[in-house]
Amino acid sequence: MAPQTLYPRGTVKKIVKAHANRTLSKDVDIMIFLNYALFMQELINEATISSKASGDRNISPRSVNKVRETTLRKFKG
Amino acid sequence: MSESVRKKQRMSAHDATDIDNPSTIYDDLQRLASVAPKPVTPYRRAASASVVTPRTPLTGRTPRGGPATRPISGKRVAPTTPHAIRALRERANAAKTPGRVRRRSGRVQRETPRDILRDLSRALAPHTRPTQPSPQVPFRPSRHSALDLPDIDDEPDPAAPRLSIPIGDMYDDDDSVHEPPPRQSLLPNLPEDVDDDTIHSLEFGRRALSEDPRMMYSGRASERFADLSDFGVDGEEYEIDGTFINRRRTMNRDDLLDQVPEEEDLDETTAEMLTGRRGGRPSDVDLGVFGDMDDDDTEPTFRFTIPPRMQGPNQEEGEDTQTRNLANQTILEEEEDTQTRNLANQTILGEEEEAEEMEEDVGAGAGAELGQDETTTAFQVNNDADGFQQIGWESEPEEDDDGDLQAYRGEVSAIDRSLQTPAPDDVDAQKRVGRQRKALNVSRFGHEYPSIPAATVKKLATGFMKSQGSKAKISKDTLAALVQASDFFFEQVGEDLAAYAQHGGRKVIEESDVIALMKRTRQVTNSSTTFSLAQKLLPRELLQQLRMEPLSKPMRQKRKQKEMTHEDGGDD
Repeated sequence: MAPQTLYPRGTVKKIVKAHANRTLSKDVDIMIFLNYALFMQELINEATISSKASGDRNISPRSVNKVRETTLRKFKG
Repeated sequence: MSESVRKKQRMSAHDATDIDNPSTIYDDLQRLASVAPKPVTPYRRAASASVVTPRTPLTGRTPRGGPATRPISGKRVAPTTPHAIRALRERANAAKTPGRVRRRSGRVQRETPRDILRDLSRALAPHTRPTQPSPQVPFRPSRHSALDLPDIDDEPDPAAPRLSIPIGDMYDDDDSVHEPPPRQSLLPNLPEDVDDDTIHSLEFGRRALSEDPRMMYSGRASERFADLSDFGVDGEEYEIDGTFINRRRTMNRDDLLDQVPEEEDLDETTAEMLTGRRGGRPSDVDLGVFGDMDDDDTEPTFRFTIPPRMQGPNQEEGEDTQTRNLANQTILEEEEDTQTRNLANQTILGEEEEAEEMEEDVGAGAGAELGQDETTTAFQVNNDADGFQQIGWESEPEEDDDGDLQAYRGEVSAIDRSLQTPAPDDVDAQKRVGRQRKALNVSRFGHEYPSIPAATVKKLATGFMKSQGSKAKISKDTLAALVQASDFFFEQVGEDLAAYAQHGGRKVIEESDVIALMKRTRQVTNSSTTFSLAQKLLPRELLQQLRMEPLSKPMRQKRKQKEMTHEDGGDD
């Protein structure tokens, strides 16, 4: 399924590093991405539910934005 | 034995026929006896004890008896070959070892009510958190751009966080598609704000627009109005914005002439006043079936309240604090004179004709000249991205005023475009957006970072949607929203991990930090380990790399648990 790499590892590292202002150990980005994948899963599930509740067939950006905060809060450590 | 006897008899009979050689007969009998017992003995031995004479008897017997031979062969083969021996030993060991029991015990433990309670707490966790006021406060700043807190302390810092939010995300889709910047800006606000009530708000806008334009411009408005109504029926966001814009703008002109002082004094109230007056006019026209007064009232109120919420996320997209400041200044100036606002907007748009008309109508040409430089820059930015305007609005207490101003600006721009071709502004705006997209975001600490590539997000999202069973595709707008959400997520995760690492006295973020984070967010529990999750969600290459280190820790824990259970069992 996944072509070569599922995600650009360097980019993810850069992003997190910029936000954390700390260096990352070698393979942390995989764990972080795992966490991110869980987040996306949750986000899409919630967005699907809310978009269905509002009558849309597809996921609408509105529903994504609606759900975003609660989902982010779920993943707030 | 019976056979031997019969054989002897047969032999004897034969012997009788051959009387010539008695000694030979005896010898033959002896031979027979010697021969006969041999077949018998192996036969018995084969049935009872196969070990002694392995193959010869077997081959002879195979045709005869199925049942007796089969078990014998199985037993014999297994011990002889080393392979079979091992297999038997393993079987025996498996039967003896407590492995199964242990596993069962482990399963039982996993299913304990404690885990059920944990799941419950997990499910309830999101609900409980929002109730606390403290988390909300930090969260908002993070949204806008984590730097808001620092903003209060240091002015330069706030600018950086705002930069962190990528404008490109918001406008990626729009720019690529086709739309003029001002319309885009209006569009996101309206639909998001309205959410459930969108239909009502949209309808009101249409009616009002239709009414107002007709009143104001008989020739132009009629043409335009028809188009707008068509679009409005379709439910397109642009059209809706256009309607709002047109309506407001017309209102503005009239109102400006009549009510300029009122607007200055009371921003929100003025809007309501304006709407009320408008309602009166449309009622005369009798376009419609709708209660004019009610509609008008609802529109302004909904507009004012909603924009701040909706625009919250958009703010993050803000490009530069400088532009924001400019926008704010321009807003202030505009507040001073509503006339100047209209003029400035038109001038910015670059439509000289419109500006001239406005000047005549309003009778205040001087206002247009005020701070054109700043206003122009700010407006351009606004046209490009609504995010700027919104940021300015939210950050400052003038939000309500800003909302009105926005509406006015939007109206003017929309009218102008609808009347005339919007080409030059749009092109510029798109170019600017393109530049901004490429630019890196800047984090709280001043590090530049790219936003996560949309392709990755899309891949992930479509994967999850497929697994969910829905075939729906992800639209560009949705993808933009997802990318933005992911950026926020990474920002949040980065901060959390930094906090964990600091707590652990490390300067490097390690796997343990992430695991701690995932445990705290209940992503990792007894029943779902990091590895089970990774196995579900990650491809093998990443899994293997992941397994190199972290596997050891959980294994140790399991061993400890096993030992514990063992000891317990032994004690018992």
